[in-house]
Amino acid sequence: MDDLRLCGRFDRQKTVVPVGPLRFGESFIVIAGPCSVESERQLLTAAWMVKEAGAHALRGGAFKPRTSPYSFQGLGLAALKILDKARRETGLPIVTEVLDPRDVPWVSEFADMLQIGARNSQNFSLLKEAGKGYRPVLLKRGMYSTLKEWLSSAEYILSAGNPHLVLCERGIRTFEVYTRNTLDLSAVPAIRELSHLPVIVDPTHGTGRASLIEAMSLAATAAGADGLMIETHPHPEEALSDGDQALPPDRFRTLVRKARAIRECWERLE
Amino acid sequence: MKPDDPRLSNLHDIRKNIDAVDAQILRLLNLRFEYALQTRRFKAQGEDPEREEAVLRTARRRAGRLAGPEFAARIYEAILGESKALQKKDLKLAGFQGEPGAYSEAAVEAWNPAWVPVACREFGEVFEGVRQGRLDYGVIPVENSLEGPVTAANEMLIETDLSIVGGVRLPIHHCLLARPETDYREIRAVYSHPMALAQCRGFLARNGLEPRMVYDTAGAARKVAEDLSRTAAAIADERCAELYDLEILKADIEDHPSNATRFVVLAREPEEGDGDKCSIVFAVPDKAGALISLLKIFAEADINLTRIESRPLRKTPGQIAFLLDFQGSPRDGTVAAVLENVNRHSAMSRFLGCYKEIRP
Repeated sequence: MDDLRLCGRFDRQKTVVPVGPLRFGESFIVIAGPCSVESERQLLTAAWMVKEAGAHALRGGAFKPRTSPYSFQGLGLAALKILDKARRETGLPIVTEVLDPRDVPWVSEFADMLQIGARNSQNFSLLKEAGKGYRPVLLKRGMYSTLKEWLSSAEYILSAGNPHLVLCERGIRTFEVYTRNTLDLSAVPAIRELSHLPVIVDPTHGTGRASLIEAMSLAATAAGADGLMIETHPHPEEALSDGDQALPPDRFRTLVRKARAIRECWERLE
Repeated sequence: MKPDDPRLSNLHDIRKNIDAVDAQILRLLNLRFEYALQTRRFKAQGEDPEREEAVLRTARRRAGRLAGPEFAARIYEAILGESKALQKKDLKLAGFQGEPGAYSEAAVEAWNPAWVPVACREFGEVFEGVRQGRLDYGVIPVENSLEGPVTAANEMLIETDLSIVGGVRLPIHHCLLARPETDYREIRAVYSHPMALAQCRGFLARNGLEPRMVYDTAGAARKVAEDLSRTAAAIADERCAELYDLEILKADIEDHPSNATRFVVLAREPEEGDGDKCSIVFAVPDKAGALISLLKIFAEADINLTRIESRPLRKTPGQIAFLLDFQGSPRDGTVAAVLENVNRHSAMSRFLGCYKEIRP
């Protein structure tokens, strides 16, 4: 791991990444919201639900990296404006994905944290552009990335000058097809050994099944993750994308409550 | 028609053009009514049948093929009727520098929503209009919280014989506006008033946008609305989006949310009222300690100065004039005494007025 000059552990203190009022790496943070921003009404309903459940930041896709060009691609600028409005109304910091290197400055105007998704985790021009920016970055693990490849992507961002980086485990491709991906929870303690960067877990994409999300969220919390990213939708059956893996409001509230209890327990034991 | 019928997109495009023309028709109609109101002072009696007949004749002649003389005449009869009705109302005209949608227009509306804002190209036009009586009032910006004094306006204030009868401290929130369906990635140039561009310096730098100066924010919005290349945007008030059929790409792009501009309301005559703020202009003789001895008069009377600007006096080169704002009113004996004292010790001095400043 010689090339990981900036993201390697060495004898560095654990990094704390400030995002608005939040501090990743210091306190346990739940990012939640719908897969895509579909309308102002849908997002604002989701935002209030996320806030009332006790989560800390709002996610919502404006640009969607879809497998098929015929699937819903996201509302783009209109979605960014809706996210901005949700922040003003609820006070929740906004996390949203950026797909195109040309969009980094522009998305930075609207979002508090830029997400680089699994499919783009080795899009080096995008990594460099985000590294030149001033917004904290949430870097997902690529679906085929080893830990070293993932950390090398992180190195691109740090070496371009942006020190505010959080990693997110979201499952990798294996031969198993029952789950959408195989959530690699060993990544959490492994990243702690290898790097000083905070790491959170996304059990929504990691499993692709709403029924498995709660158990895996609790397991991730017990493993020492710095936070969770959960997809939730006021009406999952009406979602324009990934409705099968979004949690409805009541189940999301239960999840946040239980995860907090596990976290408290974990903090006492540490 | 099915939703993917190609004719539908043509219909959509044509209707967009129709919407743009409608916006222009209404804008021009309002401009015509403004001019009609301005003629009030110069007409002995309210009606002028000869002029009306001439207007109708011209309308018939210029009607064009589709509108036709009959329709054109009907339209103009309606317009003339409305003009006369407006002239009978006691509407006050307030000039501002810029085009409809300018922040100065918002300041007029904030000060008195019943006044009719009249767009003027330059500050000079506002001052001249009020002096001649074409306009009842003028509203001009004097100072911005981020960028400091509005030099040209202060220069004219120092030399004017008009009075200040009001003040407005207006919060300024800039929007980035572009024609609908502009791809923000294609935008290169951003047009606006130099003050607005300066207040959004950080935003422009972060996004690699090139600032281009225009005499007015709303004028910039109009220019962008007429630009077909879709590579330009304007910085202006959000009201310009509606007015010029533009899309708000990003709201609140000023570098600091506390951004505000102070405007003053000008009139021919001072107004007796319950003002609590005063403005005064004076020039000091060219000798050591002249300014400090004048300022001491205010300090010793415990009067709070809220602004001081200095400008060279254009009429008498070599002399410096000072524009001073302070809290208080000449109804108060101490203030009256101070003003008299200042008058005695300065080379020139003029009291601009005592007024109220509102913060909408």
